[in-house]
Formats: sequence, structure tokens, C-alpha cells
Amino acid sequence: MDFDFSDDQEQLRDAVRKWVDKGYDFDRRRAIVAAGGFDRAAYGELAELGLTGLYVSEEHGGMGMGPTEAMVTMEELGRGIVLEPLTQTLITSATLQTHAPAALQAAWLPRMAAGEAIVVLAHQERGARYQLSRCAAQGSESNGAWSVSGTKSVVAVGDQADAFVVPATVNGQIALFLVERSASGVSTQGYITQDGSRAAEVMLNQAPAQLITLNGLTALEEAVDIGMACVCAEAVGVMDKTLAITVDYMNTRKQFGVNIASFQALRHRVADMKMQLELGRSMSYYASLKLHAPADERRRAMARAKYQLGVSMRFIGQQAVQLHGGIAVTDEYIVSHYFKKLTQLDMSFGDTLHQLGEVSARMQETAGVFA
Amino acid sequence: MDLAFTPEELAFRDEIRTWVKDNLPADISHKVHNAMRLTREDMQRWAKILGKKGWLGWGWPTQFGGPGWNAIQKHLFEEECALAGAPRVVPFGPVMVAPVIMAFGNAEQHKRFLPGIASGEVWWSQGYSEPGAGSDLASLKTRAERVGDKYIVNGQKTWTTLGQYGEWIFCLVRTSTEGKPQTGISFLLIDMKSPGITVRPIKLLDGECEVNEVWFDNVEVPAENLVGEENKGWNYAKHLLAHERTNIADVNRAKRELERLKRIAKAEGVYDDLRFRDEIAKLEVDIVALEMLVLRVLSAEKSGKNSLDIAGLLKIKGSEIQQRYSELMMQAAGPFALPYIFEAMDAGWQGNFPGGVVANAPLAANYFNMRKTTIYGGSNEVQRNIVAQTVLG
Repeated sequence: MDFDFSDDQEQLRDAVRKWVDKGYDFDRRRAIVAAGGFDRAAYGELAELGLTGLYVSEEHGGMGMGPTEAMVTMEELGRGIVLEPLTQTLITSATLQTHAPAALQAAWLPRMAAGEAIVVLAHQERGARYQLSRCAAQGSESNGAWSVSGTKSVVAVGDQADAFVVPATVNGQIALFLVERSASGVSTQGYITQDGSRAAEVMLNQAPAQLITLNGLTALEEAVDIGMACVCAEAVGVMDKTLAITVDYMNTRKQFGVNIASFQALRHRVADMKMQLELGRSMSYYASLKLHAPADERRRAMARAKYQLGVSMRFIGQQAVQLHGGIAVTDEYIVSHYFKKLTQLDMSFGDTLHQLGEVSARMQETAGVFA
Repeated sequence: MDLAFTPEELAFRDEIRTWVKDNLPADISHKVHNAMRLTREDMQRWAKILGKKGWLGWGWPTQFGGPGWNAIQKHLFEEECALAGAPRVVPFGPVMVAPVIMAFGNAEQHKRFLPGIASGEVWWSQGYSEPGAGSDLASLKTRAERVGDKYIVNGQKTWTTLGQYGEWIFCLVRTSTEGKPQTGISFLLIDMKSPGITVRPIKLLDGECEVNEVWFDNVEVPAENLVGEENKGWNYAKHLLAHERTNIADVNRAKRELERLKRIAKAEGVYDDLRFRDEIAKLEVDIVALEMLVLRVLSAEKSGKNSLDIAGLLKIKGSEIQQRYSELMMQAAGPFALPYIFEAMDAGWQGNFPGGVVANAPLAANYFNMRKTTIYGGSNEVQRNIVAQTVLG
């Protein structure tokens, strides 16, 4: 048992942090939001750092790294509330690498690692909420060629991505497909989400598709669990920075002639924020370190982790706004953007109430980090 | 980064598990698993079994006869004991006073006091709190006046846990009123059979006498019982707190009690009530998160890194969890937690407990008793002050 980071992992953290601090300041982010919430050039800079190939094997031009490196990276991107969807790339590259036929891997993974192709998970449907087993989209085969019909909602950079990983039902079972955005029968309706990032509705009308796997629910659960671990790590970065900004503010803002950091009612609130941050960080470690556990154990662990992060994010986001006072409800000041990011992350891959239900349903006689 | 224990750590755990299974008396673990009343004899019997094996001072270094375990081994030992239903070792001797004697006492004191602590023969109590000195411990007033080769002690200590059984007591006493309050405090070891000491048990809200008032009326204490230097006692007490951080979170016991809560909820028919069950699920996440926090601190200790900024959180979260599981257990039993039959908490009681489930007898008492956890050991509000200091400066 060991929670120290290796030298290589610390170097990775430094490299990402340096890029965020120097290459992705608040003004640039604001400009990207104004321009639609996604910047291909910024995404290309993530690729230059090698991050888009983090999970891609060296054989396919990636770095072949593991969950701890992904966690370190997502924490740092979270600190800068980076809009470009690296989580999606980590999900889809891992999914293709684990489940797709060799030809499909060879066609996409090198381009994904290089940042030339963006592939995102398009799994959410209006009727499913967070239930992965509910899928109205249909896949069908005709003369050896697959096609998919259905509508997927709130798909990250859905009108910018090059392809989608899409769950669709085949003979009552969920299968996973790859659908190119440029394919016939694909239309999108793009928009900005609450945190300033881009998403789209994706409509598929007998869109040509390539089969990734017929064992789609298992693959989808793995995909979403990778996403949950990413979101947990990203949340830690966002919360860490949110608390730091709040602490700085409290040590400079004066009321009644003194720094507001001197008031005990506020100090105790900060102690509670620190508690939520560290419980959250602990459970983010837990999530990433359980990603390769057997499916039952992994799913239970993810639900526990995402529940804790949901509680932590809501508390830290709301209290950061409260401790700042009026300035925090302006668009101009940075903390409101961190608050919105935390709010959006809670509703990604299953919110707090959903995860509580999952934990509750999966409880066993014994419980702990190792059970 | 690795969540798994090493093969050596797992082998160590198995060795402990086997030993505890073979040596923990079944009548004692039965009481612990069902929260029945433990007698002085129960507690001391287990202490002496550990002492004979050399594990009562499980945190001690080898030079003082301890096993010399690292932070993770200590944790694994505590976990195996807790999960098996061992009583919590009364910490005042082996966990609290012994490390201070080792670090600041002289060779004569080592020889005189440590063997009796290691074997479990001598029952120690703690004399810190006073009627006027709770969270503000440094304001303590119990006086120790140096007269020749003796100290004359006058004053009153309170909340002395299990002090009615105590044979020796380690006290923080005031030896100077000059300078800051912290600088005039000394660390004194006092034989509780000394003339002038009066112990009065305090009946608590659960009906038990777990704590005591201890009066000192011109009690003569040989000067050789002073640990370290006069007026440096506050530093010694702080040293102790710095070395006792993960133990206070008591996450291992929480894991055992979570299992018990689920058993009670099933027996009372509320485990399938989603409204109730979700509350258990929240507690389960809390306990896993606390365990991860503890493991992070242990990992940092093993690799010699500073973890002070998170260690301060352990007491707050651990105590809140203890209160929560005791509250949920009581709520699970509902009206059948209400009958107050004092004897029903004793093992072997043969009466008919209302509702027919005698395991419900201690639930309300435990809930009431657990309110102490956010008060003692530095109230959680004081803990928040400390955490805020590390974050805000």
C-alpha cells in the first residue's frame, strides 16, 4: 500500500500544470467559451503534451499509461477548468483498445493519439437518465453492414467530434458501435452547456456504423467507469483550486476593519471545505486504483467514489460562493465559473442521488476499502 | 500508487488474525460484538493476554520491549483486533503515558514504570481535564508545589475515564504561574493510593459510571515522579498527540459496527426500507472515505512524508461516524430501543426484553454515550480551529 506518486508521475503533473498556468489562462478560456466552448487548437496542445494518447498503447502511437497517470492529468486540467474534453478521449481510446476489432483500432487509435481525430461517447438518452441498461437506439445489420438509429443527448463536443462511440440495442442486447459524424443519416444540434463547454444532440437515422462489440453493456459500464474516475480526479483539481482562490480572497478581503479570514464562523466553514476536499481526494484515489478490479467490485467502488465527490463538490462550490459574497455571483469573477464546473461534473456519469442508490443496492455484509 | 498491501503485509495480517482467533476469549468477543457491558476484569484479562505476547504495547519500539512495527503493521494489528471483537485496549498506559515516559523520562523511570504497563498489570488513568479547563486545557489550576524532594499536589481533575479502577494517574499540573499558561505546566506520575486522593464516579446519561472526579488534597508525590523537566509538560502532552493520530479515527471499529448496524437493520425489518437503507449507504461511503484517509496518513508516515494537514481531519470525521452508527442502530430498533433495563446489558441476563430481542437493550445507551466523542480529545470545534489554521494561516 502506497500513495506516493512516482517521479515520472510528478513530472507529468508538472508538465500539465505548466501548460494550464501558462497556456490556458482565464482570458483564453473566456474567449473559447465566447467562440462556442471548444477550441481545436487547444485540444491540439493537449495532444502535443501526449495526453490524447495517454491510454493508447505505444504500438498505436500513444504513451500506454495507466489510471494513476490519467488521474494526475485530470486533476491538473480540473485546476484550470479546461473545456476541451480529454475525459472523452480517455474513455473512447480505452474502449476501442479493449473491445474493438484490430482493424478498427488501427484505423482510429493512432489518429486519436495524435489529436487528429476526436471520438466521444454518445450514450445518454432522454428516457434513460443515468441507467446504462436502458437504450432506445437500435442497431441493425443488413448484408454484413451495420447501421444505427436513435437520438443521443448532451454529447460532449457532439457537433465537433469526428466520430461517436454509440450504444444501440441489437436483438434485445446492447452493442457498441463507432459512427462517424460525417456519415449519412447523422445530424447534430450543438450548444453550450452550463460550464461553458460544448455539447450536442446527435440524431442518427440509419447511420452507417462499425461494430465495436456485441457485448456492449459490459463495455459501456467499463467506459462509464473510466469516465467516473476521470470526473472524480477532475473534480479534485477544481475543488482544490476553488478552495485556494477562496482562501486567498479571505486573507485579503476586509470587513469591519479586518481580514474576513479572522472570523471563526468562516474559519470553521473553511475547515469543513478542507474536510470535503480531502474525503473527495481520497475517494478519487480509490476510484482510479479500483479501475482494474473485477466488475462488481469496480462498479461498487465507482458509485461510492462518485457519491462522495458529488457531496464534496456541492459543498465546496456553494460555500466558495457564500464565503466570497456578492463578487462570486458575477460572471466576471473566476469563482462563479469553478462553481458551475463543479455543478456540471456532479451531473456527469450519474449524480449524487443516483450513485447513492447504486451504493445502497450494492451493499454487502462487510464494507471497506478492500470489500 | 498502489492500493494493495504487499505480500509481506498480508502475511503479517494473517499471522495476527490467526493469533487473535486463537487467543481472544469467546465470552469477551461476544460481549463486544453485541455491545454488552464489559467489566474491569474483561478489559484487564484481554490486556494481560496481549501483554504476555508482548503486544499490549503494540506501538512500542523494540528497545523498550515492543514489537517495533511500522505504521501499517500497527494499523493491521488494530484492524484484526477490532474486527475479531476484541475490546478497545484502555489506552492510558500503553498508548498515552508510555510513549511520554520513553521519550522524556529517565532510565530509572523506564525501568520502574514500563514493565507494568507492558504486561497490563498496572491500570493507568489520565488526569488532564479540570472543571475550569476543558477545551482550554492550558488554563488548568491543579497546583504542584515543590517542597524538598516532594511535590505537594492540590486541586481537582475531572472526566477521568475509568479512574475508579486506576492505580496510577499521569497528570498535567501547574508548577508555575509565570509567563504564558502553557509554560508553567509539568507532567507528573501519581500513585492513586497516595493519601489525600479521593475518586468519585460520575453517573452519566446512559446510567454508567465511565468517568470520575479526582480530588487532590495535599497529596505528596516524590519529585522523582516528575517526567522530564519542570514546566515542560505541555510540550510532552503535545508530543503525544502528534504521535496518536490515526488511532483516534477508530475506523476499524467503525467497519465492525457497520456490520452490526446492518444485522440490526435486517432483524428489525428496516434494511429493505430504502429510506433507511440509503442512510446506511451514506455511512458506508463515509467509512470507506475515512479508511482511505487513514491509509493515506499511514502511507505518508511509512515514507516519512508530512501529512499533518490531513491528520487533523481524522478525529472530526471518525467521531462523527461513531455518533452516526450509534444513532442509526437506535433508530433501527425504534420503540424497542426505549425500554431501560440496566441488567439486560449484562451477558447472561435471563429476563424477557420487550420485543424479544435483547440485542436492542444497549442501543439507546450507546447512542447517548457516543455524544462524548465530538467533545473529548479536543472538541470538534477546537479541531476545526486547528484545521482552519493549517489552511488559512
